[in-house]
Amino acid sequence: MTPAILALLLLLVPLTAALLIAFFFRRAGGIARFLSVGAALAVAAIAGHLIFRTGDTSVDVRWLTLGDFSLSLGFLINPLSKLMLGVVALVGFLIHVFALGYMKGDASVARFFGCVSFFMFSMLGIVLADNLAMLFIFWELVGVSSYLLIGFYLEKPSAVAASNKAFITNRVGDFGFVIGIAWAWVQFGTLNLDAIAARIAADPSLALTGVALLLFCGAVGKSGQMPLHVWLPDAMEGPTPVSALIHAATMVAAGIYLLCRIHFMMTVEALNVVLFVGICTALYAGLCAITQKDIKKILAYSTVSQLGYMVAAFALGSLYATRHPEQAGAAALTVGAAAAMFHLTTHAFFKALLFLGAGSIIHGCHHEQNIFKMGGIARKMPVTFLTFTAGYLALIGFPFLSGFYSKDTILYLAGQVSPLAEKLLVAGAVLTAFYMTRLWVTVFFGRAKSDHSDHAHESPLVMTVPLLILAVLAVVGGGAFIYAGPLAALPLSLPHIDEAAHHALFITSAVIVGVGVAAAIGVYRVGSANDRLEQTVRPLHSLLVGVQRVFDVLYGWYVEYVQQRLAELLGFLEHLLVSGLVVRGSAAVAGVLGIAARSLHTGNLHNYVYWFLGGLLAFWFLAFGL
Amino acid sequence: MPALPCLSALPFLAAIGLNHYIAVAAMLFAIGFFGVLLRQNTLVIYMSLELMLNAATLAAVAFSRYNGTMDGNVFVFFIITVAAAEVAVGLAIVVALFRKRHTVQVEELDALKN
Amino acid sequence: MTDALFYLFSTLTLAAAVLVVVNRNAVNSAVFMILSFLGMASLFVLLEAYFLAVIQVLVYAGAVIVLFLFIIMLLDVRGGDRARFRPLTAIASFAAGALLLTGVGLLFREPSLQLAPPPSPGVGASLRDFGALLFTRYLLPMQVTGFLLLIAMIGVIVLSKRFEAARRDPAA
Repeated sequence: MTPAILALLLLLVPLTAALLIAFFFRRAGGIARFLSVGAALAVAAIAGHLIFRTGDTSVDVRWLTLGDFSLSLGFLINPLSKLMLGVVALVGFLIHVFALGYMKGDASVARFFGCVSFFMFSMLGIVLADNLAMLFIFWELVGVSSYLLIGFYLEKPSAVAASNKAFITNRVGDFGFVIGIAWAWVQFGTLNLDAIAARIAADPSLALTGVALLLFCGAVGKSGQMPLHVWLPDAMEGPTPVSALIHAATMVAAGIYLLCRIHFMMTVEALNVVLFVGICTALYAGLCAITQKDIKKILAYSTVSQLGYMVAAFALGSLYATRHPEQAGAAALTVGAAAAMFHLTTHAFFKALLFLGAGSIIHGCHHEQNIFKMGGIARKMPVTFLTFTAGYLALIGFPFLSGFYSKDTILYLAGQVSPLAEKLLVAGAVLTAFYMTRLWVTVFFGRAKSDHSDHAHESPLVMTVPLLILAVLAVVGGGAFIYAGPLAALPLSLPHIDEAAHHALFITSAVIVGVGVAAAIGVYRVGSANDRLEQTVRPLHSLLVGVQRVFDVLYGWYVEYVQQRLAELLGFLEHLLVSGLVVRGSAAVAGVLGIAARSLHTGNLHNYVYWFLGGLLAFWFLAFGL
Repeated sequence: MPALPCLSALPFLAAIGLNHYIAVAAMLFAIGFFGVLLRQNTLVIYMSLELMLNAATLAAVAFSRYNGTMDGNVFVFFIITVAAAEVAVGLAIVVALFRKRHTVQVEELDALKN
Repeated sequence: MTDALFYLFSTLTLAAAVLVVVNRNAVNSAVFMILSFLGMASLFVLLEAYFLAVIQVLVYAGAVIVLFLFIIMLLDVRGGDRARFRPLTAIASFAAGALLLTGVGLLFREPSLQLAPPPSPGVGASLRDFGALLFTRYLLPMQVTGFLLLIAMIGVIVLSKRFEAARRDPAA
């Protein structure tokens, strides 16, 4: 089985599952569930085979040709895509299994699993694409899947509004992305990634900052960087497995993956901008998370913040590589791509775990999502508590867990490139520890604050087993031993950190964790019934709430005052010019001509004779050349 | 009249040439045309039309005579024949029209208006 | 001598034509038309087209105008039309009159038309020559004209018959 055929199967299996569900099994929830989970299992198996048993490959087939431009569909399978594929397939499968239990009893479970299978198809398309056009096609398909799944609870107007918001915000980013693709085509003459890489390797001046930044726009939209982050918290309206799969582990990581795929197109100026955006996002989202009361929203802002870290990691690593070119060489991934992908992988593990854990808690507490109404869950749901704690510790960078290693890599690179960046990222890490500890102590300890949480019970096996597997991955994901075979390219491509730096980083991380946790426990106490920050330091709390709301307010103002007015103006112009002048105008001209022609028909014989005479005179003049 | 030499100064009193006949034909044609333009009765219009046709035949015969050929005469023969046929059919139409409309005044025959 | 006859007959023709156009009564118009045709026939004689002169009287004056008279009397057209004065008509008439005068004047000046008559008897005087030409060179037009007359006859019958058929069963 050549890699190309395996890749094709990877795409076709979930697509077939989605189509079968769409056409035949809309009402049969039971069959649909197992079809989808079976497809996810098959994808995981094929992906495993593809990653470990086959080599790299790049194939493509020309699909359409329009003059100079030709669109081809193909696969580019190299260590980078294998790594991403592994993450998507494994985490995707575990979440499918979790969703079997979570969505039980829902009336539209078939629609859910159909959309999830369709999402797997689109995401795998992004992972395997070998040219920017194909990537864009699947990019959009992923956006559609996200729209369908965020708005899964059709009856809830907030869900429908959130899905619209997600799609439109993505579209804004995609606008820049498309212009970037067009410019890239003009600049390089091709959209095939390998071909562009070859061209830039031959002539480095071909890489343009403009192209790189426009393509980054796509990542800004899809990965929720500032200012287009506003859709991610609202996307929590979707079911929790969706939040875990799409808005934590895979889809939002597609932006990071895109950056890694086009790393050769980056210039130093572009990387500086990318770094700036990443750091701003990381800090801003951390500040927003402090005041949230909904468990999923806290995790959502945490995701935004960690995505900022990934983007910053990519920029820092690439900047590091330009300053230390001797460290490149035989590495399969660039330093920037390696650093970003490392954090992406560990983040996928622990964030999916956290979301699924939150899903388990929400399920157990009968859909209560306010953390201040929970409490004492540790006693009631022990497995969930243990796995969630593992994820929590990984996220805050507790030493020797996976998050520790990936975050340290980022901090090391920051230290090498820009001390200011390092300080800001450290501050962000402290914030992360702060708000996550707030969540942890409030949800799991103390007394139960509501009837629902009082009667919480542990989730069934089908939900807890994925949690356990993900917990194991979250704990050991930082070790190089789990990246076997071709995936070893990842640890090999990371920057070499010497002993002294290792010690310094260890101390830094320990201090971060300690400070953050202590501050949180100090402010919020263990298991309190309401937000103590809100009660004690009200102005600070209001300031933070304002900071979180400012973007939505700005966008709302823009849509209502600028865009709406422009739309009304254009509507008026269209009414006047297009339907008035052009459409009715041409009808009027035809009518006038008709009336003019009609007026010649007087029915009077003498008039016709006069016209005859006139024509004769005209002929006479013509004959005499007058 | 050759006996009065002063009269030969007037051009139209010179010896009758082709141009005299053509002038007569032209004036006859013009009179016929006026009749078509100015009369209201369909039948009188038709008669004026015949006058125009006659003017043409006169011109044809005159040309034929002054150029010394026969073709003009033969042609006039055909013209007369065709004119006769045309009058027959045309009058049949006028009769049919009269039976429908009960009028031959051209002013009132304006059903094709607009 | 022929000159005087020419002036006489051309004056006759033109005056009769004017009276045709001007007359209120349609029957009067028809009769003046006959007079005009007689003048025309005389002019034909002056031009030595004797056969044509005879044909003119026989066919035109004899058949066509008689047919006109038949129809005029059949339709029993009442009185004359009151010619309303319309300014457009006046203008058009003046313009046409001016054109006419210029045309006739130009014709007189035209040098290529100032031909003298060839000596008589002319080429077309003999009927034998006329017939020969008719049946050799102009045979096709002659046959076609025969057809034309046939068609005209059928057409007239159809036109009058159809209407008769419609009138015969008004209650059907």
